[in-house]
Amino acid sequence: MYGVRLSWRAVHIEDAELIARARAGDVAAYEAIVRRYQDVAVRTAHLICPETDADDAVQEAFIKAFDALPRFREGSPIRPWLLRIVANEARNRRRSAGRRQGLALRAADAAPQRTAPGPEAIVMAAEERSELLAALATLRDDDQEVLGARFLLDLSEAETAETLGLPRGTVKSRTSRALGRLREVLGADGGVDR
Amino acid sequence: MTDRLLTLDDDGIEAALRALSGEIDWPTASPTTADGMTTAPDVATRVRARLATREPRSRRGWTFGGRPLRRGLVLALLALLGLAIVAGAVGLGLPGLRITLGEPPASVLPSVSPTVSPTASRAPTPTPTLPPITGMRLALGRQVALDQVESETGVPVRLPKDERLGRPDSVWIDPAKGDQVAYVWKASSDLPQTLEPGVGLVLMRFDGQNEEGFYDKAINSGTTLERVKVGGHDGYWISGDPHFFFYTTADGRFVEDPRRWVGAALIWTDGTATYRIESSLGRDATIALAASIE
Repeated sequence: MYGVRLSWRAVHIEDAELIARARAGDVAAYEAIVRRYQDVAVRTAHLICPETDADDAVQEAFIKAFDALPRFREGSPIRPWLLRIVANEARNRRRSAGRRQGLALRAADAAPQRTAPGPEAIVMAAEERSELLAALATLRDDDQEVLGARFLLDLSEAETAETLGLPRGTVKSRTSRALGRLREVLGADGGVDR
Repeated sequence: MTDRLLTLDDDGIEAALRALSGEIDWPTASPTTADGMTTAPDVATRVRARLATREPRSRRGWTFGGRPLRRGLVLALLALLGLAIVAGAVGLGLPGLRITLGEPPASVLPSVSPTVSPTASRAPTPTPTLPPITGMRLALGRQVALDQVESETGVPVRLPKDERLGRPDSVWIDPAKGDQVAYVWKASSDLPQTLEPGVGLVLMRFDGQNEEGFYDKAINSGTTLERVKVGGHDGYWISGDPHFFFYTTADGRFVEDPRRWVGAALIWTDGTATYRIESSLGRDATIALAASIE
């Protein structure tokens, strides 16, 4: 009597293996890489150019990244490398996008975000959220980008540096400067109200 | 202006920004309705579809010490090399190379002939190309004719009775893998393409396992496994992320199929053999197809 006993196991396939397969032309492996980082990529594009269709920009960036895979430095993390290509694509679109719209808060009755708040998260009232976002929108583009990458996207300093194409020291100093400016805006008479 | 934001130090502002992130109306990579239903393929699916359908392009360029060189750099180096050769040849006064100012001497002007060289008007000879064999990139073993399967493997041909399929476009056998037989149909309007470009359906059959054997599957966490019935036999429908396939044969040999990833697939046993169908038809249509095998 024949039978078949199937046993299955879930195996996390490391980025390095997926990258090696993608470099050899395995489109399915590349799809798995994209799926792993597509959410943060879409947010990155939206952060830099909220006026553009973020997932269209990201799709284009991932196509370019596939063609650029031979230039990817083996052994280095792929997430910031991908995000840099996404950021460049979003910047290109920003140049022709016209007036800045800025980020927007989601509707009060929208479904909660999937990202769980960290232990340091603070609870803000709706009015505080609006004021903080409005204050952020008054900063220069490069200040908004560095604060957005560090604290809205929760990238590390090193990842922020590679994503934005900056030296790591510049990320540190620009973050400090941008936080100071944000506090100044918040502390200005009347603040920034929307 | 609320007072609390005015009192925050840098750490407090950082925490406030992190909290703000969860309240921003971010777009998503998987378009969804307000109640969370997906409305369109995600970015990864669209990227894969674009890459799979575009013209193949050479991605191997010039390299130096294993590192790729940019096309512009290569062209600049070639131009410099050409200039250096010309300059060196002129400097050395090599015979055969003269730089002449003014009108060229008559002896170097091309002669005008009323006749046209027969080679000048000859149309380029087209390079004959053979049509690709459906499934040849899948490394399924040796290609055989359909009527050779039984004589080569001792396994009678059993195919789905479905008018959409007709005869398979190619047949492959691999005696080293439990007399594996693979039937491949090309993609068509009735058979949407699988992960393999141009391939619409793959039906594989290999020797069944006794209780000591096992199948194993290296799957991503995004792969789902669903227990189904195929004509009364136990089977599994595997969908979601692509996955690898490997197993151990009845005599203990490890059979690996790591050359490619498999998309949606149905696997089942009829008690004597194990079958696997790779298809983009969806679960129910694939099961119906499998149940029609005779």
